[in-house]
Amino acid sequence: MPTNSDVAIEVDHVYKTFNVFYDKTNTIKEKLLFWNRSKKEVREILNDINLEIKKGEVVGLIGVNGSGKSTLLKLMTKIIYPNKGKIETYGKLTSLLELGAGFHPDFSGRENIYFNASIFGLTRKEIDKRLDQIIEFSELEGFIDNPVRTYSSGMYMRLAFSVAINVDAEILLVDEILSVGDQHFQEKCFQKIEQLKEEGKTIVIVTHSMDSILRFCTRAVWLHQGRLKMDGDVKKITDAYIKETA
Amino acid sequence: MENVFKNIYNYRELLKTNIKKEIRGKYKHSFLGVLWSFLNPLLQILVYAIIFPIILKNDIDNYVIFLCVGLIPWTFFTTIVTQSTGVIIANANIVKKVYFPREILPISVVTSAAVNFVISTIIILAFVLIYGMGITWHIVFYPIILLIQYLFSIGVSFLVSSLTVYLRDLEHLIGVAIMMLFYATPIVYSMQTLPENYKAIMALNPMAHIIEGYRSIFYYQATPDFKWLGIILIVSIVLCVIGYMVFKKLEKRFAEEL
Repeated sequence: MPTNSDVAIEVDHVYKTFNVFYDKTNTIKEKLLFWNRSKKEVREILNDINLEIKKGEVVGLIGVNGSGKSTLLKLMTKIIYPNKGKIETYGKLTSLLELGAGFHPDFSGRENIYFNASIFGLTRKEIDKRLDQIIEFSELEGFIDNPVRTYSSGMYMRLAFSVAINVDAEILLVDEILSVGDQHFQEKCFQKIEQLKEEGKTIVIVTHSMDSILRFCTRAVWLHQGRLKMDGDVKKITDAYIKETA
Repeated sequence: MENVFKNIYNYRELLKTNIKKEIRGKYKHSFLGVLWSFLNPLLQILVYAIIFPIILKNDIDNYVIFLCVGLIPWTFFTTIVTQSTGVIIANANIVKKVYFPREILPISVVTSAAVNFVISTIIILAFVLIYGMGITWHIVFYPIILLIQYLFSIGVSFLVSSLTVYLRDLEHLIGVAIMMLFYATPIVYSMQTLPENYKAIMALNPMAHIIEGYRSIFYYQATPDFKWLGIILIVSIVLCVIGYMVFKKLEKRFAEEL
């Protein structure tokens, strides 16, 4: 249970390592014969991360490639689990990490909306209610009953984004997807995120675009080599980050 | 405990669509479609009904019915085990990308197979009617035995589906195990014809009791042996709990292992 009710995400002394196998043994024979021989390197991805994100905050995660940003997001969605420490989230959560997860190419756009939204934990009734809104947002009215395999990659992403953004989650995790579709659709996505921000949703964004961070975020968190380097004011941190990486 | 069911209940739409996809997707590109749900077991019964009376001397009356009452529940069981070995791997694309209660996957496998089984039961009913044996009131026990087999299968599916992610060999080992179990289960022969000491070993096989249960209803037209079925029910519940705990422990690294 929440220690206090205005916290949305609590990251408490989280450590995460990945085992990198050079020669992965997956069969019983290999496991028995070479149980002590498999070359493995334990790579530290996150090291003692502490973070408390309050409801309604829009947090920008920044850092160079490999600093652990995406891993932290994946931990928040519970796709992977920490080796040590605890992560708690309070409220319905949607991740826009990998759009179109589980899209079936042979099914129509409409059927895929149902399937994709059900992965996010929506019931049939809830999907029925949002269906028009999702289709309208995707601007795919004319193609919605065609199989998804006939879609262009832009259309595919538009549909996926429309589903994910319309599930009414209290917490949104966004990973570098603010580059969906053409200029016009992108601007629409930005507006939708602005709107969600005004509605008081908690949003965590991973991006390399400092412009997006400055535009949306109320707080910035800078990860460097798996550790928290700076946390707080957006302007100050983006300036420091640009200075160091430039 | 309450949370276990609540979590699955919240994702009921996903469970439903997944089950539908399993049933519909299975025969999607085949010409005869769902008809294969009937044709598959029917042809299998035909082959066995021709072969076994020749190689195995038996004096079982209405052998076709005897066989089909054993074979159809057995197919229900083996379908689940073989599909469970691959279900997490086959859904790697969603397991790696989004959160949802992973237990939805094995539960869908078992439930869609159960739906298929209930449909295939029509074959059993057709045979008893054609052969003039008729259907007796004992059919009221059918849902009870189905429930026991369902719970047993869920437990097996939890274990098999999660373990295979870590030990891919299991897929092949299980193929061999199923073949051996086929002969260790009274499907093509009767339990009564076995020597006493073998009967004792057979008693350890839950599938033997389940199949004997169906056979009581449809073939012997008698009340099933509820002492044994009660024991199997308890075993199945324990297996479900253990299976669930193992699954929950192993699921934490699914996304990394796939």
